[in-house]
Amino acid sequence: MRKFVAILLCAVLAVTQVSAQNRTVRGKVTEDGKKPVANASVLVKGSTLGTKTDDNGNYTIAVPASAKVLTFSALNFETQEQSIGSKTEINVVLTATVSELQQVIVTGYGTTKKAANTGSIAIVKAADIENLPFTSVDKALQGKVAGLQSVASSGQPGASQAILIRGASSISASNSPLWVIDGVPVNAGDASRLQTTGNLLSTLNPNDIESISVLKDAASQSIYGSRAANGVIVITTKKGKAGKTKFRFDTEVGNSKVAYQNPKYLPLDANQYMNLTRDGLSAYGYSAAQINSIMPATFGEGNGNDFNWYNNIMRTGTQKQYNLSAEGGNDKTNFFLSGGSFFQEGTSINSQLERNNLNVRITNKATDRLTIGFNLNAGSVNQRAPLNGGAFGNPLLSTYFLLPSYSAYKPDGTYNYTLNGGLHNTIALASMDKRYLRQTSARGSLTGEYKILDNLKFKSVYGIDYNNLEEDQYNNPNHGDGAATNGRAFAYYTRYFNYVWTNTLDFQQNITRNGDLSTSTQIGYEAQKSAGYFSSLQSQQFPPSLSLTWPASGASPTTASATISDYTFESQFASTNLNYQNRFVLSGSFRRDGSSRFSAAHRYGNFWSVGATWNIEKEKFMADQKIFDQLKLRSSYGVNGNAGIGNYDAPALYGFGFNYNQLPGSAPTNVGDPNLTWELNKPFNVGIDFSVFKNRVNVTVDYYVRKSENLLLSVPLSSTSGFASATRNIGAMQNKGIEFSINVVPVQTKDLRWDIDFNFANNNNKITSLPNHADILSGNFIIREGVSINTFFLREYAGVNPGTGDPMWYDTDKHGASSNVYPGASARILAGQALPKFFGSLSNGLTYKAFTFNAQLYYNFGNKTFDTWRSYYLGSGNGPSFNKVVRQLDAWKNPGDRTDIPRYIYNGNKSFSSGSTFNLNDGSFVRLRDIQFGYNVPKALLEKYKLGTANIYVRGTNLFTWVKDNNMPFDPEQGTASASNLNVFIPKTVTVGLSLTF
Amino acid sequence: MIVATALLLSLASCEKSFLELTPPTSLTPEYALATEADLQVALRGAYAGLKTTGQYGRSLPVLGDLMADNTYISVQNTGRYPGFSLYNYTVGDGDVTALWQNSYTVILRANNIINSKIADNANVLQYKGEAYAIRALAYFNLVRYFATPYTQDPNALGVPLVTVYNPDTKPGRAKVSEVYDQINRDLTQAFTLMTKFTNSSQFSKYAAEALQAKVYLTMGNMTAAKTAALDVINNSGFTAVTAANHAAYWAGAAPLTSKLETLFEVSFDAVSNNGFDALAYIYLQSGNYGDMLCNSELYSKFDAADVRKALYTTGTRGGLASVFVTNKFTSYSGDHTDTKVLRLSEMYLIAAEASYPTSTTDALTYVNKVTANRGAPAITSSGAALLEDIILERRKELAFEGDRYLDMQRLKRNITRSTDYPASARSIDFTNFRRLMPIPQVELDANPTIKAQQNPGWN
Repeated sequence: MRKFVAILLCAVLAVTQVSAQNRTVRGKVTEDGKKPVANASVLVKGSTLGTKTDDNGNYTIAVPASAKVLTFSALNFETQEQSIGSKTEINVVLTATVSELQQVIVTGYGTTKKAANTGSIAIVKAADIENLPFTSVDKALQGKVAGLQSVASSGQPGASQAILIRGASSISASNSPLWVIDGVPVNAGDASRLQTTGNLLSTLNPNDIESISVLKDAASQSIYGSRAANGVIVITTKKGKAGKTKFRFDTEVGNSKVAYQNPKYLPLDANQYMNLTRDGLSAYGYSAAQINSIMPATFGEGNGNDFNWYNNIMRTGTQKQYNLSAEGGNDKTNFFLSGGSFFQEGTSINSQLERNNLNVRITNKATDRLTIGFNLNAGSVNQRAPLNGGAFGNPLLSTYFLLPSYSAYKPDGTYNYTLNGGLHNTIALASMDKRYLRQTSARGSLTGEYKILDNLKFKSVYGIDYNNLEEDQYNNPNHGDGAATNGRAFAYYTRYFNYVWTNTLDFQQNITRNGDLSTSTQIGYEAQKSAGYFSSLQSQQFPPSLSLTWPASGASPTTASATISDYTFESQFASTNLNYQNRFVLSGSFRRDGSSRFSAAHRYGNFWSVGATWNIEKEKFMADQKIFDQLKLRSSYGVNGNAGIGNYDAPALYGFGFNYNQLPGSAPTNVGDPNLTWELNKPFNVGIDFSVFKNRVNVTVDYYVRKSENLLLSVPLSSTSGFASATRNIGAMQNKGIEFSINVVPVQTKDLRWDIDFNFANNNNKITSLPNHADILSGNFIIREGVSINTFFLREYAGVNPGTGDPMWYDTDKHGASSNVYPGASARILAGQALPKFFGSLSNGLTYKAFTFNAQLYYNFGNKTFDTWRSYYLGSGNGPSFNKVVRQLDAWKNPGDRTDIPRYIYNGNKSFSSGSTFNLNDGSFVRLRDIQFGYNVPKALLEKYKLGTANIYVRGTNLFTWVKDNNMPFDPEQGTASASNLNVFIPKTVTVGLSLTF
Repeated sequence: MIVATALLLSLASCEKSFLELTPPTSLTPEYALATEADLQVALRGAYAGLKTTGQYGRSLPVLGDLMADNTYISVQNTGRYPGFSLYNYTVGDGDVTALWQNSYTVILRANNIINSKIADNANVLQYKGEAYAIRALAYFNLVRYFATPYTQDPNALGVPLVTVYNPDTKPGRAKVSEVYDQINRDLTQAFTLMTKFTNSSQFSKYAAEALQAKVYLTMGNMTAAKTAALDVINNSGFTAVTAANHAAYWAGAAPLTSKLETLFEVSFDAVSNNGFDALAYIYLQSGNYGDMLCNSELYSKFDAADVRKALYTTGTRGGLASVFVTNKFTSYSGDHTDTKVLRLSEMYLIAAEASYPTSTTDALTYVNKVTANRGAPAITSSGAALLEDIILERRKELAFEGDRYLDMQRLKRNITRSTDYPASARSIDFTNFRRLMPIPQVELDANPTIKAQQNPGWN
């Protein structure tokens, strides 16, 4: 710590003082030391004094005595500051900005220049993900990258987010990308066990991220070998810049409400429900006298209550975040420090998240040859999430299931526990029960980099990724899930310690003496171990006081369990490229991976890629053309792998815990396959990048075909074997698609800049081979050769018979005759896919003087969503003692009625509640993902308060959602399986923010 | 390059142990089933398989009464099992699927014990004997729910017979008679191999024979049924529950070592139980689901002096007064109520019914052992009425134990239900195709051999 303070002091004291004089300064502004930059602006910093360069890049400016710094800026170049000192001539070489070939791109295990890059890599910059009202960076990526689908299934703050890059490549193994944070492949995803959802990345503050590289093709991914099949997301956290210590403070506060709701899918009020149920009981066969007796007793008819559970459970959530950072240093040492605090409430009760985190990075040039570095990013999250799905303790379920005739409160204001259908008063439970997740993460690394020779560099990174989850649950003895056991409490502890040690050797060499042909090569070795530790306990029989919520207070311990789950990877890798004048670049990579998940004979896999690029604008024949500022062709092919299965799936296993009379019992738990090995993914990519109109229009187009083979497939077995499925290497599938992104700057003047970004991705998934060409059925999905993964396979609903009010289904899969008999399995049809056919975003950014405006529309087309629980709230009588939604009132009533909702009959009408195409909705939607108005406070005012910059803004997130289907019940975003599950609804958020540097 | 070489060398030296990880809580089969003691552990796993909600945890006892005329779903319910009351359940029904899958899971566990190569001794033979009985029980349940009754057509399609573990098996359906042959072979083995009695929650020699008596009765083999039932009655050492200890007997939740009444039951304890899915939850009122009520027509059959009547209470539910609630299963907290599978009193009923074609005197003797033990009036009828009285006595004695529907199946009878049941489902003919459960959709989807062997009507 003392050392650290010393470094800080060094950084602060290192600021040089310059003396100033009253004089004229002249000089030349060039692009590369030769090519002049015309019309560049030269300003005396902190004043309005300025001039412009002439056609030859020359300028002359009169400088007052007080002036210390000149600022040079020009379109498509980085703004540069030069201290004036005693100089009279200042020549400046400007560095080109975006879309120029020298841009440094972070890749796997290193960086490359854009010109030398052969792969398909998308970059997301800090500015695009800062200060957003999202709990984790994966949520912020939605719409930012062509071909990256980021989809939520819950609006719970801290919920997991599904990310698919260029479609899904695996049927049963993982489809999640590999996350690499500062060189460490981390454990990501949902590690919670008691919560309904969680997200390890929620402990990472997006404001600490400097850039994100999304590696989409073989050339960029394959260096990650067996874990690259689903794409790689490489995150680099912020680094300090040498110079005077700069502080930055950001804050944003606001609130959130449900983003999308459909009036047809709001619950009924008391009268509506009572009338419907009377009709239903009558249709069922109860006499009028019986009905008159049943209604008040069973459903509280006429008791005077009309409690709106929906409105009482939904709420306006508050939202706030504060971030403070400091950076600085000198030529030897630089540092970046930050701390942040984030709080968000969900759109319904019992849902919130709080995060606190800190981040440190220090880099020191110990000698000319040795650089050492340290970084640590630590965060803790405190999450509170309700139950979901069909759990009686799920507040969302109770909004649709509880009857308005039963209030949450008794007349005296205490909680009412007498409700319909044995359901729970979730409003009472929100105050009496608890469900918490405390998640602490620390991700950090120590780095040493030694220049053995000027062109030979050794680098060693030891990284850790530590996640610790404490989950607590208490169910009180009086009401709800704890009542049967006189109260119960759980405490689950989960820990993952993941360490990675990576050693690389980088070698650069000119092959020809003049440097026209050069090579850079890297070889490396990496070892990784992730160690999981889990303990679980539960006790029951609690004292009556509701403040005794820990398992220690329970009289009867019923669960006492602890176990571990580990995996290891060991890898050697190498990559090389050959560069001819930055015109032609050839690249290749190879990686050999060993994994503990496979048996000794099949443990190792070899993965590789080749790539090439041609920077056409560098060719002589392009020298005279004025159209293309950049024209680059890229292509790559390779093989990488997927080992995303369970840690112990390969061996045949007997498990324990199948106990009888509290004595140990065992049973077969895993079929196993000693030949299990890597799933292979073979991506081919061809792409073009070009810029025209002086880099005012930048376009990237990619076409890819990626084939997955030896799928790690969960093959369904005949249940008569005693098993439902086994993991085997069998089957193949293909993803094929086009990605297009364009950036246009239609207007750029001194005062006004307008940016348009549009991206589009289309992905066609097709299963190409299955064992014996046989279909595999998985829930509502079919896996069939020639058809996309996650294709719904359901009986086709044929509407309502206008004469009888009966539901009708097509008898066969031929859309022919229909009847009121729920047909057999052979009548199921391909009913659309859960994954969109195309998606992307359109962004507009306007800067006018001090004002900024940004808006991003996200669109998603061509998928279907499945309404999982509609059998209850829209089942024409199924689950009759639960409330229904408004659309149920459209049910058939009299002969001749034309409607798609069958007659309401108590306990259900035929098999209408069973799954059919009626459960599906068109999932296409367009959403105003982000809209923001900002104002940059004028410099004059800032200086008065010794501020560098100040920006204030108002932001709206998900403010508007358009859905194609009028009957879309809930938010169209429902995970990659596109099935709703009564999760916390996704929020729309309005916030105001302030960003200061000083 | 020196560094690189060193790195590669270091890789070669440590790779094996670093990548060699063994599962922490599981064993490979050769270690899991290595010794006699391991076999005992695996046997408990087979019993544990009977505890799932798709087996004796809930579905078997509930469906056996709900699909017939003993229990119905209250107007106020939580939406469980409605398709079996309304007779509109579908081929993808989750409860049907669970019954099928859980039965075969139990069979796999039993198969691995039966096929174990561990050297025989008295303990090993006992464990294998119990496994044979468990397998027979699982096949007996499957063949009765998914196949045409033996009494209707022994040559009809039964269920697939799997006696050796093979994950890739895609078997077709054996004939009903072949399934019963397998069951009887297993039960004979069980009876022969077993020498020990642990308690009522594990199979013993006479529990296996009691099951065999029931199997013979179901096949309509009255001679063999009578012989087996009488052997149990006379030689098992079990005593029947009487009017005096009837209430205490049903109130108890723990397995019995006293050889009182229970030949076999599936045990649920304070730790390993089905929580909210416990059997008691679906019947008991106040704080529980309480969906399932006793048919008022059944209740009316109990004589005032009959101690069994005390197992039912009268109440109001859903605004409808005079509904009847069964209290056969009382414990859902702490040690949970066990599910009775075979009781000595049923042996008397089997003996009575099996005697009827050849000796009505014997029939009266045996059935009146039961009425006498319950404080019910003695049966005195003769002819066809006597048979009806025996069947009714079975209904009264075994109500809510999952028996009634399977009796209606073997007797090939139409089911006539009271007005407690939905108007659309008060008359369930023997020919109604839903009287046989469908081969579940997941099985059809995964097993091409069985695809063309679906039960009629289920297309």
